[in-house]
Amino acid sequence: MPNIVIDPKKCKSCYLCVEACPRKVIKISNISGKTGSNIVEFDNTENKCTGCALCAISCPDLAITEVNK
Amino acid sequence: MQTFSIPKSLKENMIYTFCPGCDHGVAIRLIAELLDEFGLKENALTAASVGCSVFLYNFLDVDCVEAPHGRALACATGIKRAQPDKFVFTYQGDGDFASIGLAESTHAAARGEAITTICINNTLYGMTGGQLGPTTVLNQITTTSPHGRNREYHGFPLKMTEHIALCDGTAFAARVSLDSPAAIIKAKKAIKKAFEVQLKGLGFGFVEILSSCPTNWKMNPVESHKHIREELTKVYPLGTFKDLTEGL
Ligand SMILES: Cc1ncc(C[n+]2csc(CCOP(=O)(O)OP(=O)(O)O)c2C)c(N)n1
Repeated sequence: MPNIVIDPKKCKSCYLCVEACPRKVIKISNISGKTGSNIVEFDNTENKCTGCALCAISCPDLAITEVNK
Repeated sequence: MQTFSIPKSLKENMIYTFCPGCDHGVAIRLIAELLDEFGLKENALTAASVGCSVFLYNFLDVDCVEAPHGRALACATGIKRAQPDKFVFTYQGDGDFASIGLAESTHAAARGEAITTICINNTLYGMTGGQLGPTTVLNQITTTSPHGRNREYHGFPLKMTEHIALCDGTAFAARVSLDSPAAIIKAKKAIKKAFEVQLKGLGFGFVEILSSCPTNWKMNPVESHKHIREELTKVYPLGTFKDLTEGL
């Protein structure tokens, strides 16, 4: 099943992945990260992720370390 | 099937120290991916610039010489001439490339050195706190132009890619941006061409990347990308300005 791996230590809460995801499966979580803002989380409860990797391509901090199709 | 993994040419377990949303991270990743694809990691040498781009050597696992501010292409020329078999590239900011280093940059292009240069244009001096640079656009507010860039007082911004494309020694010159996934994929293609012209010995390869600086622009990362798409590309049109590989 398609999935992504997010490294919470690397996320700087820029939310460019939230903007890039065509299926809107990346959401802002309740956990605050090192910049003080909330980091992102992968929420694929509806199985909408296609593993397109547009999120990982957009992430400036390599916080999305792996994408599987 | 894995559709994305971290490139091998980046140092293991490194964490970028750039500000949130800074496009430097994407640009360095694209270079690393191409070094992987061409199998150049062991054979690449780089001359680092001064500015936020200098951190390249903390993240990329290739040998590097630190050049004085603006002189990356002068150092790179020496490296390439001493070791012509190596793949030599520079990674510079707009202030480094087009302000203090304009002479070195232009002459390296005019001489047609077989070097690849990636220039990050964030329209100001990022590392030192956001001062006006040669690429600052008209009316843009910076710490040294608090009322905006004024054409009578500060003059007009410099268009680097057009300028470099005019040099006879240039084999490839393109301007790209990183404001969306589609733009990032196009940017990678352009950087790939700039790598290829060096590998084929055709001359100087140059890519200018319109890049966001959310901290100094005082915008959030998503707004910064919108600003590049809607405002900066009017002043700095995207595209390929010279490509000697076309007729080959
Ligand atoms: C000879 C010299 N003059 C000035 C400086 C100060 N300085 C350090 S970084 C920098 C600006 C670099 O700007 P740019 O190349 O646009 O890179 P950015 O930080 O925006 O990525 C300046 C002026 C210096 N280090 N050396």
